[in-house]
Amino acid sequence: MAKSSAIKKTGRAAVFWKRLKESKILILMCLPAILYFTIFCYIPMPGAYIAFTNFNYKAGIFGSKFVGFDNFKFLFNSGKIWMLTRNTVLYNLAFIVLGNALQIFIAILLNEVKSKYFKKISQSIMFLPYFISAVIVGLLAFNILNYDFGFLNSIIKAFGGDPVKVYSMPKAWPFIIVLVNLWQSTGYGSVVYFAAICGIDTSMVEAAMIDGANSFQKLKYIILPSLKPTAVILFLFAIGGIMKGNFGLFYNLVGPSNSALFPYTDIIETFVYRTLMNQFNFSNSAAVGLYQSVFGFAIVMLANYLVKKIDSDYALF
Amino acid sequence: MKKLKKAAYLALAGVMTASFAGCGGNSGDSASSNSSSASSSGTSSEAKVDTSEFQEITMVTMGNKPTNGRMEAVMEKVNEILKQKVNASLKLQYVEWNDWQTQYNLLLASGDSSLDLIGTATDWLDAWPNAKKGSFLALSEDMLKTYAPQTWASVPAEHWEQCKYDGQIYFIPEDSYTQWTNHGMFYRGDWAKEAGLDKVASFDDLEKYFDGILKNHPGVIPWDAAGSTNLGGLVEGYINAYTKYILINGTTTGLFNLFYVDPSDPYTVLSPYMEGTTLEDCAVMMKRWADKGFWREDVLNYTGETRDLFYAGQSGADQHHTQTFVSTIRPTMDEKQPGSEAQMFPWSAQSKNLVKTVVTHGAMAIGFNSKHAERALMVYDLIRNDQELYRLFNYGIEGEDYIITSDGKLDRPEGYDGTKDGLGINFWWGRTDKNELTDANWYDGKDEIYKEYDSYAIEYPLGKFVFDPANVSTQISALADVCATYMPKIAWGKNDDPKAEVANFRKALKDAGFDDVLKEIQNQLTQVKGQ
Repeated sequence: MAKSSAIKKTGRAAVFWKRLKESKILILMCLPAILYFTIFCYIPMPGAYIAFTNFNYKAGIFGSKFVGFDNFKFLFNSGKIWMLTRNTVLYNLAFIVLGNALQIFIAILLNEVKSKYFKKISQSIMFLPYFISAVIVGLLAFNILNYDFGFLNSIIKAFGGDPVKVYSMPKAWPFIIVLVNLWQSTGYGSVVYFAAICGIDTSMVEAAMIDGANSFQKLKYIILPSLKPTAVILFLFAIGGIMKGNFGLFYNLVGPSNSALFPYTDIIETFVYRTLMNQFNFSNSAAVGLYQSVFGFAIVMLANYLVKKIDSDYALF
Repeated sequence: MKKLKKAAYLALAGVMTASFAGCGGNSGDSASSNSSSASSSGTSSEAKVDTSEFQEITMVTMGNKPTNGRMEAVMEKVNEILKQKVNASLKLQYVEWNDWQTQYNLLLASGDSSLDLIGTATDWLDAWPNAKKGSFLALSEDMLKTYAPQTWASVPAEHWEQCKYDGQIYFIPEDSYTQWTNHGMFYRGDWAKEAGLDKVASFDDLEKYFDGILKNHPGVIPWDAAGSTNLGGLVEGYINAYTKYILINGTTTGLFNLFYVDPSDPYTVLSPYMEGTTLEDCAVMMKRWADKGFWREDVLNYTGETRDLFYAGQSGADQHHTQTFVSTIRPTMDEKQPGSEAQMFPWSAQSKNLVKTVVTHGAMAIGFNSKHAERALMVYDLIRNDQELYRLFNYGIEGEDYIITSDGKLDRPEGYDGTKDGLGINFWWGRTDKNELTDANWYDGKDEIYKEYDSYAIEYPLGKFVFDPANVSTQISALADVCATYMPKIAWGKNDDPKAEVANFRKALKDAGFDDVLKEIQNQLTQVKGQ
């Protein structure tokens, strides 16, 4: 009995080494990614301990005084953490759902366009915003929206209307931020869907046309179902980052000091940044960051579990 | 073909792997050099003065790195002297004005071992919080006596006392330089006359002045302030102008300081942010000012340079302290806007509530990770006390950057434009009156201003009090967040009902643990009083 299990073990090890040898090229190709995550994600992980200390530069992370959950107290007591979580999650949901819907829509439109030049030009124009840095986007937005000299208000004034105080209207900002995000990301995102559409077997479309399907039927029964796997994968990937905010976008659009807008625009990232920058409180910032990671992890696991239950083919792991 | 492809993949993977491995290697290096620096600074005090090894010293200073080449030219000469006298060279590292508070603290937090000399201050830079967080090297008396003997001898014991935390000296005070750093508003005398004002001496006058600009100078924004870098607006000035309370240094909550004392009873903490109607009155006034359009509607998102706009006649006011006014604002305005008769309204004009500049308004510290602490002190001692080096460092090269007039005053050569040709070394961490020249260009009314200040200014009564926030650090960060949330709205009139906003602010402060912090400060004050 013992002997046979030993044989089995060496057998397994041999198989393992054999497979390792066979796939050494694949493993080598994975190596950069593995190293990347080890160096930038796993090695710094013990640093999250800062969240439980009263951090002193000289004493270092592990030499600082341990204070338990003191750093988390304020976040939960003030209710701030719920506002931040709500904003972060809702913004990301809007980005994911609206973004993907719009990207699919644009991809389908592009597919229907017959003129090659028009297709290329419109694609390039939509692509362009993706390459504009968030700092410039923030500046553009300020120049369009500001009250005294803004482009928008100059037009309104020229037509005899009353200028709007956009930077004092918190409720307008969810729309502005989502709009800017869509403006920036749609062109780029639609490429993936456009590629997926191009990958659809043309014989299917032809067969449908011969059977007398009109354009909408073609869309409904062939194109959209064919895009489903792509959409689900992209959606799942996006869910993984649902607790992560697009810091550059939010910070540059809203700025660090217009606190009237914060109830509707503050996300975890901007809050962590301000806490760090205004107070130099590493411990508090780390506490929020840790909460973000733990909560995000839970959401990913949950989403994957649900997808697995519904259709295990689509689950990530 | 297939083989080639395979080789290409391998090569690519190899390159990427190597590049990551490179990163790892670097971080290992810096870690080891850190530890070696710690050991070298530990053994410093017993060593005799040994300058056999050439060392490069880095000095952190505040300001935008000059681009006109003068700084480099002067530094070259400075380094010649330093090489000869102490076998060292000096390099300046600038913390630029954009987001300076943040940049400064971040730089110190990095614990970079190349930070040797660090300019600091207890009132306008976070010297105390940084001393407590361990950014600075504790300076032993032996060290100071050995490596900065002239400075050690010239600073009296009571001034060293004001640089101590937990019994150890953390920085060297700029204590023998006369300057007034009380804040106020700069305005244009000519526009004040148009508004029917002889001078602006109160917030009510200021309102009339701003009203006049709106009426007489369409297109000019009365005070084109950038709220994104000044979250507290004029609230601190208002408190200064309407109460006799003075701020306790080193009890900041984030970017704000809520805690004051009455100089007649300096060991009882109080807060005008919480008590009385001062804050409410201020909030009401600021709301009215905002509605009138004294600053941009979007002031909190605006990041313009108010001072440049003031020089250009696009803004009717600018806000800073007396030293800036007499040394820079007035001379520049006389040149850029002739006849503008720029004036300053110090907050203390009516309340006579003025504290003399603390000796640590400028100070020099050594980075805790510095590898060259001893030589850095020697360099500092020279710059501060050696007249030749001092003038070179502060004024530039004689004949090119400055000239000495026949009556021994400092003047500038023909065609010199301070805004373009300035040296920009900004050594505010150890100036001394004995090495200074009277500047012929400074506002000649300055003596009058100084005389008036001298007639009512008092000494800061809590020079030896250093608050230790350890017991209430959670509450302090909560307060900091509350302040950063409410204060911009109150200070810049971005609210519907200023009184309600103040009430909400106060409630939020209470909820965040205001009373705990107040009690802790009081306890520590009582202790200091007992000593």
